[in-house]
Amino acid sequence: MTQLLPSRAHWLVPCALVGALVSAVPQRASGADDPREWLQRMNKALATRNYDGTFFHISGGRVETMRIIHRVRSGRVTERLQSLDGSGREFVRANDELTCYLPDQHTVLVEPRQDRGPFLGSLPQFDATVSDFYRIEALPATHTMGRPVRVIAVNPKDQFRFGYRLWLDEKTAMPLKTQLCDSRGQVIEQIFFARLDMPESIPDSDLAPTVHTDGMRWVRQGPSVDNASAALAAYRASQLPPGFRLTVQGAQTLGGASAPASHLVYSDGLATVSVFVEQSSSDSGVAAAPDSQVQPPMQGLTRVGSGYAFSTVVQGHQVTAVGEVPAQTVEFIAHSVKIYSGGGEIPHH
Amino acid sequence: MSEQIREQVSAFLDGELPDTETELLLKRLTRDGELRESFGRYALIGEALRGSGSQILTRGFASRVNLAIDGEPAQAPAHAQPAHVSRWWRPLAGVTVAAGVAAVAIVALQQRAISPRLNGAAPITAQNVTAPLKAAAGGQMPVQDGAGPREALSYTVPAASTDAPSALVPTRLTNYVFAHSKYSSGLGQRGVLADLLIEDDDPQLIPVQRAPQPQTPDTRVAP
Repeated sequence: MTQLLPSRAHWLVPCALVGALVSAVPQRASGADDPREWLQRMNKALATRNYDGTFFHISGGRVETMRIIHRVRSGRVTERLQSLDGSGREFVRANDELTCYLPDQHTVLVEPRQDRGPFLGSLPQFDATVSDFYRIEALPATHTMGRPVRVIAVNPKDQFRFGYRLWLDEKTAMPLKTQLCDSRGQVIEQIFFARLDMPESIPDSDLAPTVHTDGMRWVRQGPSVDNASAALAAYRASQLPPGFRLTVQGAQTLGGASAPASHLVYSDGLATVSVFVEQSSSDSGVAAAPDSQVQPPMQGLTRVGSGYAFSTVVQGHQVTAVGEVPAQTVEFIAHSVKIYSGGGEIPHH
Repeated sequence: MSEQIREQVSAFLDGELPDTETELLLKRLTRDGELRESFGRYALIGEALRGSGSQILTRGFASRVNLAIDGEPAQAPAHAQPAHVSRWWRPLAGVTVAAGVAAVAIVALQQRAISPRLNGAAPITAQNVTAPLKAAAGGQMPVQDGAGPREALSYTVPAASTDAPSALVPTRLTNYVFAHSKYSSGLGQRGVLADLLIEDDDPQLIPVQRAPQPQTPDTRVAP
């Protein structure tokens, strides 16, 4: 087992996996210092390595201690993200399903997940489009937690998106520390590892949730449909912040809803904003469950982790934009949503 | 927060805490919510001090920082180098420090004002649950690499779902965030999921920062 943190003695004895990774990457080849290449190395490490770490998630002055376990075995990825303090919540992604254990809410949410992205996330490749709106640069190398790290900054060029700073372990390219920053460089969210092991194997027992589910209600999110019906697709943002474009349109029946919500995804290549449009309960024509409550409309701006959600009502439709972007971006997009119900031409963006 | 702990936290955030002490601090942070709060403020302020910002530094910051960290005013002037002044503050004696930083910390802590308008919980009832429902004892879901958990899954719904207060079910916004996380690209997904793991997840209204509105006023009107 390779233990990156905090037992430094182990760093001197890199295991075969680390050796294989390091040897696979030309250490001093041209481009080895290219920040884009470092981001690709990070993506590869996050997606393909076994790791078990404890990290701090700091946002808005709040600190949560979390444990991430990521295993790749025979091409199958199993992941577990666990809150070590407070809520006792856990996420487990296995077999194309994401299961969210919410013991404090006596609920388990299950959602189909075909995506292969690791819980810790990754950054997309930087193409020309992304470069129009972000500037990527290598900052001076330094040490984090006693280990040499490369520091990569992804800076937004305007106020409609956030940027990142990443402290990547020189040997493994694992992000030992990451920051989400606004366009002025203010840190919005920070994650850093206190302990990170990269074991050769991880037993099933480490990936099993510790939550006892007796008596909990299980809620399965409906499958998402990427090609929604015409009726559901008749919503669009009529205006978008620079660089954002429609990447996915679909519909999904969300837990607690009696009808599917239209789901539009807008992205600038790095940041993503989801727009959900639902008919108000009274307008949906679907009989409410006898014991359900009529949902009051949501309106206004909400802080959601490191991002924001903005809700408004457009012609009897609940419109909510949510994403890891500045408040003005979700507000801009939510306000610009149009309902194309009269057979008018729907814009493609 | 005792001076010893404060020193440990400061050293940890600087990457200079010995391994054995790091383990102990980690355990303590996991147990002690109050310490985590202080730790968070420390980290926030420390990051700002490290120069992520380009603010002009001004005197009087240290006392505000101590206020932010301990909830009480600093008890000694900066020039006295008192024993309880963190190592972060020491280099700051006699220099100017960021005026805006403490404000950032404090404002961040005040951002969670509750809005009843956004607490419209989506009641999850048996009628709404689309998963197969069985009144079997809902044991833990084993995670297996191959066969998968599907065969082992049994979805348990309380017989009287109305017994559960609506505050105990995910809100509509939580569902949105959950669904969004699937598409959130980049490292953003990590933040979204991390946020969902946090206990105090009820969506809460914050003062709306006025954002530039779309230029055309008719964008909210259907054609």
